[in-house]
Order: sequence, then C-alpha cells, then structure tokens
Amino acid sequence: MNNALTAHALATTLHYAEPPSFSTAEMVLLAVLIVLSLVGFFRRFDRVLRNIFTARKDPDFHLAPIGRRIWDFFWEVLCQAKVIKERPLPGLAHAFVFWGFLAFALVSLNHFASGFRLGFLDADSLIGGFYFWFAAIFALLVAVGIAGLFVRRFFVRPIWLGRKVSIESGIIAFLIFALMATYLAAFTIPSTSAAARGLWWTHALCILVFLPLIPHTKHLHLVLSPFTIFLSRGEFSHIPPLSGDEDFGLVAGKDLTQLVALQAYSCVECGRCTEHCPANNTGKVLNPKEIILGVRSYLNDLGPHSEEPLLGKYNSQEAAFQCTTCGACEYQCPVGIEHLPVIIGLRRGAVNTGAWEDDHGTKLFLALERNGNALGMSSTERDKFIKKQELPIFDGSQEYCLWLGCMGAYDPQGREIIASFAKVMDYLGTSYGVLKKEKCTGDPVRRLGNDLVFQQLAEQNLEIMKQQKVTRIVTICPHCVRTIAKDWQEYGASPEIEHHSEFMARYQDKLPRISENGPSIVYHDPCYLGRYRGSYDQPREVLARSGKVIDPPRARERSFCCGAGGGLAFLGEESGERVSHVRARELAATGASIVGAACPFCNTMFRDALAATSDAPPQLLDIAQITAQTIAAQSIANTTPSNGAQNA
Amino acid sequence: MKIIVAIKQVPVRDSTLRIDSSGKWIDEDDLSYEINEPDAYALEEALQLKEKHDGEVIAVLAGPERGSQTIREALAKGADRAIHIECDDLASLDTLGVASRLAAAIKDEKADLILTGLQSDDLGLGQTGVVLAELLGIPHATIIMQVEAGDGSIKVKRELEDGWFQHVQMPLPALLTIQSGISKLRYATLMGIKKAKTKEVRRIAAGDLPQAATPTVTLARIYLPEKKKETQMIEGSPNEAAAKLVEKLKFEVRVI
Amino acid sequence: MSGVLVILEHKGGSYNRMSWEALAAGQQIAVASGQPLSAAVLVSNEGGSDLESFTGEFANKKLDKGYRVEHALLKDYTADGYISALEQFIKKIDPSFIVFPHTYQVRDFAPRLAARFGQVLLADLVGLRKEGDSFVFVRQLFQGKLNADYRHTGSGPCFVSVQAGAFRAESLEAGSASVEAFAPELDATAIRSKPEAPFREAAQTVDLSSAPIIVSVGRGIKEQDNLPMVEELAAALGGELAASRPICDNGWLPMERQVGSSGQTVSPKLYLAVGISGAIQHLVGMKGSKTVVAINKDENAPIFEVADYGIVGDLFEVVPALTEAVKKAKGA
Repeated sequence: MNNALTAHALATTLHYAEPPSFSTAEMVLLAVLIVLSLVGFFRRFDRVLRNIFTARKDPDFHLAPIGRRIWDFFWEVLCQAKVIKERPLPGLAHAFVFWGFLAFALVSLNHFASGFRLGFLDADSLIGGFYFWFAAIFALLVAVGIAGLFVRRFFVRPIWLGRKVSIESGIIAFLIFALMATYLAAFTIPSTSAAARGLWWTHALCILVFLPLIPHTKHLHLVLSPFTIFLSRGEFSHIPPLSGDEDFGLVAGKDLTQLVALQAYSCVECGRCTEHCPANNTGKVLNPKEIILGVRSYLNDLGPHSEEPLLGKYNSQEAAFQCTTCGACEYQCPVGIEHLPVIIGLRRGAVNTGAWEDDHGTKLFLALERNGNALGMSSTERDKFIKKQELPIFDGSQEYCLWLGCMGAYDPQGREIIASFAKVMDYLGTSYGVLKKEKCTGDPVRRLGNDLVFQQLAEQNLEIMKQQKVTRIVTICPHCVRTIAKDWQEYGASPEIEHHSEFMARYQDKLPRISENGPSIVYHDPCYLGRYRGSYDQPREVLARSGKVIDPPRARERSFCCGAGGGLAFLGEESGERVSHVRARELAATGASIVGAACPFCNTMFRDALAATSDAPPQLLDIAQITAQTIAAQSIANTTPSNGAQNA
Repeated sequence: MKIIVAIKQVPVRDSTLRIDSSGKWIDEDDLSYEINEPDAYALEEALQLKEKHDGEVIAVLAGPERGSQTIREALAKGADRAIHIECDDLASLDTLGVASRLAAAIKDEKADLILTGLQSDDLGLGQTGVVLAELLGIPHATIIMQVEAGDGSIKVKRELEDGWFQHVQMPLPALLTIQSGISKLRYATLMGIKKAKTKEVRRIAAGDLPQAATPTVTLARIYLPEKKKETQMIEGSPNEAAAKLVEKLKFEVRVI
Repeated sequence: MSGVLVILEHKGGSYNRMSWEALAAGQQIAVASGQPLSAAVLVSNEGGSDLESFTGEFANKKLDKGYRVEHALLKDYTADGYISALEQFIKKIDPSFIVFPHTYQVRDFAPRLAARFGQVLLADLVGLRKEGDSFVFVRQLFQGKLNADYRHTGSGPCFVSVQAGAFRAESLEAGSASVEAFAPELDATAIRSKPEAPFREAAQTVDLSSAPIIVSVGRGIKEQDNLPMVEELAAALGGELAASRPICDNGWLPMERQVGSSGQTVSPKLYLAVGISGAIQHLVGMKGSKTVVAINKDENAPIFEVADYGIVGDLFEVVPALTEAVKKAKGA
C-alpha cells in the first residue's frame, strides 16, 4: 500500500509533460512535415513493395498450416526468442528496443494526435498516467539497449557486421536514443514550459526523420521481417519444385519469387549467417549475407523481371558453389531468411542451363548418370561387398530395408559402419535386408542443383521401392535420410526412413551399458541429422551407453560442418583452409579419446583431417561402431567365469 | 561447317554381363545403356568445332528403339538434329554391314566432316569409322587429338605410339576417329533435355536401306575369360615376391 | 589363294617387337594350315637407303619368302599410299591370310584395306587355334570382360591383327629366306593426306591421366627422404610417380601428382600402390586402372580389395628388391 502511494505521489510530481496546446501555424507545419516524411517513406517503400509483389509467385506456397505460422510469429517476432537465444546480450538489447517500440506505438500515435489537439492519452488520467509511466520503463530499457548496441557496433565491431562502419546505423541509433531521451526528459519539466514544447518538437522530428530512413536502410526489417517470419516456407532448406518448362532455378531476376524478394529486403545485415558459415570461416569467397544482399541489390537495380543473370555482377558463381549446405546461416537468421533455397536456387540456375563448368562437378554428374553412385564405382563392387558381408537381401518379409548408400556400399570406412550396424541389429533381433539394386539418393546433385540427374535417380529409386514393396528404411547416412524423406517427395511418396541413431535410441534400453570408466566420446552433430532433422538427443543417448559423452564448443544447432555437404565432398580441393581441419582440431582439443560420428561423410572427412592436424589423434568411430564394440565387450564379459557366476 | 557424328549405344560400363542362352551374345535384359564413351568425345569435339566455326551437328545412330535415349542425350548436349537407323539386327552384322548402313543413311547429307569415336566399348573393333570413309570415298585419319578446321581442309593431330604425335593435313570432306579424353565432356542439362524435345530426329528403317552384304566374319561364341583370382597375394621373402611380381608384370600384365 | 602373309612395321628402319609377334602368329597359322609363310615390309626406295640390310633382319627368320614393297611415296606413312600399295601387292601374291601387328598405324589403314577386298579385319586377336578345317580367332569384348571366338566365313582373304604380347616373339624360329622387291604403282595425287614429321610433345606438366604406368606412394612412406626409393622404382618401370593426398598435402610432391577425388583420375595399364591404405577418396581416382598392384604392410588395408596382385610386407624391403628385379628383367 505504502509503495503504491509513493509511486502515485511520484507520478503526480513527475509526470509526462506535453504542451497543452498548439497554434494553427504549428499544426500546419506539423501536417507539412508529416506529409513530407510519409512521401519520403513511400517513395522508396513503394518500389520495394512493387518489387516484392510483382515478382514471380512461389510455386508451392501454402498458407496452411496457419498454426505453425502464428506460433513462429509469436515466438520469433513477439518473444524475440531466436534473437536472444543465439546472441544473448545483443539479443536482449535488441529485444528491449523491439518491445519498447511496441510499447511506444500508442505513445507516438498520441504524440501526433495531440499535435492536432486530438491527444487521447491524458497524463493526468489514471490510464494515461499509467501508460506514460509504463512506456517510460521501456524508454529506459530502449535507451540502455540502443546505447549498448551502439557501443558494440562502433567500438567492439564484430567482424561479421562488415568491415565498413555503417553511418546510417549510427544515425538511426542516435535518433532512437534521442526519441527516448526526449521522452524521458519530458517527465522532469512542467508541461507549460518552453522546454516541454522544445522536447515535443524534437521528439516529433526524430520520428519524422526516422520514418523515411526506414525503407532506405536495413531498418526496413522493422516493417518487413514480421511478415517474412510469418510467411516463411517453414521447412528447413526447402527446395521448391521447378514450375513449367522455362523454370531452371534462379537464373535471372524473372526467376526470383515473392518470398525471395521479401526475404532479400528483410535482411538486417546482422551477419549471424556469416559468423556461422563454415566456408566464410575458412577463407572462402562465400558470404551468405552478401548472397542475400546481392539479390537485394539486383532487385534495386534491375527489378524482378530482368533477364540479366543473377550470377555475375551481383553474386559470384564461385561463392555459390562453395556452400556445404550445412544450413547454419538459415538456422541462425533472426528475420526468417531462407538462404539454402536461394543458394541452391542459384546453383540450379547455373547447372540446369550448363553455365557451371567444373571438371569435378562434371565427373560427378557423369558418374551418377552412368554408375548410379557418386563415387563412380561399378555396382558389382557393391554386390561383392554384400556377398562378403553376408548381408541378407530384402524380400519384403523383413522389418527394415537397410539402405547402404554410396558410402556404405563402396567406401571402406562406410562398409565398416554398415557391418557394425548390422551386428547391432542382429543383437536387437531386428530383421532387415539390403536391396539388390540401389542408386544414389541424389543428395549431391540435389544440393548442387542438377535437377535432371536428381529426377532420374529419385524416380529410379522410387521404382525400386515400389517393386520391392519397401515401407520402412533405416540407414547410416543422414544425407540419404533427408533426401529420401523430403526431396524424393517431389516425385512420389517416399517410404518411411530413419537414421540409425534414431533407431538405436528407440531400442536403447535393450542395448548394453558400460557400467563405469567408459571412454570419453566427443560427439559431432552432422548438419543433416541435427539442423536438418532435429535429432540431437538420440545419438547422444546411444553414445551415453558406451562412454562419457562430451560436446565440442560448437554443438547441436551450432555444430560446425565437416565440409563434405552440398556435393562438396566430390568437388576437389577447396580454397582457403579446409573446413574439416578446423573442425577436427576443435574435436581433438576436447581431449576426448573417441570422436563419435554419425554420418559416413563426416567420417571420411575427419579421417584425413584428424591425421593431418594431430600427432596423436583421437579414435574416429561411428556411433554404430561404438555400440557394436560395447555389445562385443559385453558378450566377452558375459562369458568370463566371474561374470557367469554373477549371472547365475 | 556441317558435321556428322556417328554414335553408338553400348551397355553402361561396369555392367554385370551375362551370356545369353545362344552363347553368342550377352543377355540384354536388365542392362542399362549409354553412349559409347569414345563417341561422347567425338560428339564433344563436333560441338566445340560448331561453337568455333558455326554450322550444324547431326548425330547418327544405328540401333534398336532404346537408342532414342542416347539420341536424346546427344541432342540435349547440343546436336542440332539426328538420324536414327532403326534396326534390331546389329549383332548379326559385321563392320562392313554396319558401315554400309551408315553410309547409305548419311551420304545425301554431304557433310564436311564425319566424326566418330576411335572404337566401341562393346566390340572394340575400331573400324566402323575407317570403313565408313572407304565406303564414302573420303580421306580419314584415326586416333585424333586435335582438329583445326581451315577453308576446305583440316589439320589434325594424330596420336602415334610411345608419346609421338603427328600433324596431318587433308582435304574436306573427311572422316576422323577421335581419341578419348582429348577434351572435357559436358554434362547433360535440364535445359538441354527440354530443348531436345523440339529437335528433329529422322527415323530410317533398316529395311529401307540397301541390303548389306553377307557378313564375312561371324561371332561363334562368347565366354568369360579364364577367371583370375580376385586378388593374387604374392608370398615369399621380399626378393622372392619381387621376382614373382616381375614375372606377372611381364607375362600377364605385359608392361615390362 | 594360298599362303600366310605377315605385314611387318618399322620406324626409321627398326622393327618394333609387335612385328615379330605378328610373325609368330603368322608362323602358327602357317604351320596349322600347312601353307607357306611370307612377310613383307613397305619401304621407300629413294635416297640411297640400304634396302638389303633393311630386309636382312627378317630374312633370317623361318620364312618361305620375304618381300619389299618399294615406292618413293611410301617414305612417310599415309593411309592412301599404304592401302593402294598393299592392295596391289596382295592381289598379286593372293594369300589366304594377312596378319598385322595391331599397332596404331595398322588400325589406321588395315580396316580400309580389308574393305577393298570386301572383308572385315579381325582386329586385336589374343589367340587363335585350328578347329576342324577352319580357324577360330579369339578376341576380347567389353574391355576384356568377355572373350569371343570368331570365324572367318567369307570367300576372300582373311585379315587379322594381333594384340601386343599375345604371341611370343621369342618363339620365332630362325631360317633364311630370299627377299623379293615389289614396286606398286602409286599416284601422288591420289594420296590425299599430307603428313608432317612426327614429334614428341615438349616437356609438359605431368599428365598422369595418360600415363600407362603409375607408381603411387602413400602415407606408408613415412618421410620425404624416403621418396627417392619409390622414384627409382617408377623410373625403372618407365612410369610416372604419383601420390595419395597426405603426401601432396605435406608438400612432399606437387599437387598435380595427387591421385584421387580431389586430384587426378587415372586409368593406367599398371597402377602400383606403395604404402597406400586405400581410402575411398583415393580409390575413386584410380579404380579405372587395368591392373593394380598393392604393397602394404597391413594385410587388411582396403587397397587389397581392389588390387589384382598384392604383397603384404615392409615396403622399405620390397620396393628396392622390386626395383632390382625390374631392372634385371628389362636388361635381360
């Protein structure tokens, strides 16, 4: 009670001061300024809107499911969850500014209304008084937040914000700070004073200057990003189908869709994508932020109907083909930009029209066309392996079809993983069989944008699935999982598929557990299992039965790519430092005795990288190999007399 | 420059081959087919010549219906039109028979240059091109690494053995068999495949061509060569193993 | 129509080994068919070349007759010149079999020559035998994956060429034969192609993709200082030196010598892998090799899966021994 009284007393002495009345001249001036400001805003914003609305429609856009969209909007926009989660301090500062803006919407409206003697919030009324105070708390938070962001941008200067200092950001920060300062200062003076009138006008001017700046700067995200987030495709790395005979991907401006245009204009240039990009972090040309900004500049200069190629002046082909499709950029983006459909779209445009010329790429495409596997091996090699390993052939009677994948069928390490996983399945008593014929799922060509070969592979495989009546698949390769589960759907209904980590996690209770003193295992989240599929806990649960699981510094959603994805494993030597080396050093530095992998591509990348970067590298094993070892150790333990006695 | 490329469709390299019940040919069920790889280089050379000198590239293929897939790929890669000699009896013809069909189908085209791969991946005879030149009465050169087209004549680089080469000049029209690997093959693109749909393919029934002479060589039987062990492990002391290996290199691998 | 005629090939007066192998094949046919054997060589009769000594070399083989097909226009090889000269010559002596070594030059003219007689060349034979009254000629199909028996059923002469190494030149019997000259009528204007002098490519950057023999070294070599040992083996075999990625990564060999998915793709006749375990990145670069030999101390190394011949052992012992053995075999 006492507190409330004190607060009330304060409120009456310190309350928001607005000039009680405005002269006609002032009103005319205000009206002119508002009109000028709005004209400044719309002259630019109109162009932006036209570029977005007249762009090509997204061929597979559906508003449903609306629930997901509302949730995304609530969580990512209103709660600022992603912004805060990925960069807590600046994220919180940003959230304060954002919430402050929401709180100030009413205050600002009232501000201009009162300039025309139409004010609806009365500082002396209970509601008005409360609201002004409520807004004042936010004003404080905004002022602190924006000052913090200002210091970060102009003094700390993280490199991913760009090397060039953004003057406009400084001006905007100053305006926001001034808005808050003028608002708070108005609590300390009587409303009839000349100072109150001065503050009122300064505050109004700040808003009127701010408004036209919005569409000219990255602050366009204030207006657009709520829509961008609400309208996002929603699926990670969703690659839209090509529509009609003239669609080859993102070749020129005419191929840019409304969503791409909207996203390009929403970019806030925060550089989170760049900060997490494995290519950019290892000295390559690719900068996902610049890809998006390149599209934006293209739209600004040439519009969404141009025939001018997108790759060239505005975006570099070299950069587009350095992407491992790890998806860190898309995952990180706080304003709902989906980088992968853009980067893969650019690749499709280049590959589907033959503009991309690359010896290794051509070799890969020809190998897939001819041999049906990315390694260009003869399918008889696969037959030999199946025979040697005595893998049962799938005949429809087994529970699972065990999909080998190119790595499982041809790579010596991949074969070991298959052999180990087969042992685990045998141990669990799950029946399985492998297909006599199996082609590459098409993952590398899907990511490299070769729709012709991808379609061939998907259709041929779907035909095999139908013939063999395959309904449930388990595989060791997250790339196969993703491609079968999502990408094949463009050409038919794909069977149910599961990664072996998910399978083993479901049966974890039946798997043996090393009681104590297990080895320390550092687990590397494969991009296509983690970010693409959200399976973070299952592999850890499986590994926890065989040892102590530790995370490297960058883990789970922030896992750092091995460098193999996006078809890059087949594209020859990379420029700059090898992605795999950076990650291998990070994994080795944890001091773990085992690196636990869950993807045969990661495995093959780390094999060389660990040996090259460390004199005594940790052992590199797939989770299936680790589990199979634990099973073997247990069965030995069970047959020794002492244990036997215990069991008896 | 009008260029004809003679291409052949062969089973995909690395196919698992089974001998059919007649014992005279392979079981064609279940096989996938592709363009004979040396012919792919001939096509590539033709396309590059066209890009340099303008003109037209015409692909010609003799074979059954499944050959249209290979024709479509050639068109997708950039050939302007194609001629498909439809026949199911290729295996019963000898080189002279095949070449005479090709000659009959293309002689009215009056091409400046005829290209083909230096040999086929299946039969490996390496003669169809040379015999075709004989039937058309035009000069030829084989195992060509490079082609420079001039006015009414060409200069080619022939590969000789042991790292030797030779330039040869000859008048047009002429026929060349192209060495594999002399350039980078292009990949088929979605755009190319879509464009190929609108390109002309002239189909000629083998019956409409002059009857080929009776074959002078016949394939009596095909069979698996004596199977060598998958991996022969050579045992013994280093000196013994080395001596044994040299023996193999000399008489089995024939590289010494 | 009778007799077996072998067409020998020479360059600048020296015969290549394949000519003698073709002669060995010819002897085999002659013996089996009971027909006389003759051999011929095409030479230029101008410029004071010592034609007698030139043909002397084959006159001391077991032959019934030797021929020199002589004409000034046969100085440099041209398909038109050779075909015309041989057409006249063959018509004159009318053999039932004409045997060639399967050289690049023969591949260039022999099919066309055969076509003049309405025949097809049975090319690249790996074997032959007599069955009943006729011969069975063995050649390979599908890059050696299958063998095929062919029979000659036409009425004209039978043209065959034999694969390098398929017949043993060592088995040739000695003898003596008279050598006769034959002068075809050749018209310079009918020779349409104008050959220039053969040349070798100027020393270019390493081109592993066309090398017939490659000796490739991997991590098992341990130190850069050990490389010369492998280089010596490559030199003895007349092959190129290559490496797996770790070697090139370390800068021990230039990147252009790297075989594998990020380096070169090679398909030599012989690929000798020394101390290479066989990671998939390496295997995809060399899987097209005709013959793979692996030397590795780990008997479970994946490279042995793709090898045709394997030696499990210490490369520091095996490689020098192999170099010596190769040198000895070549010297002999």
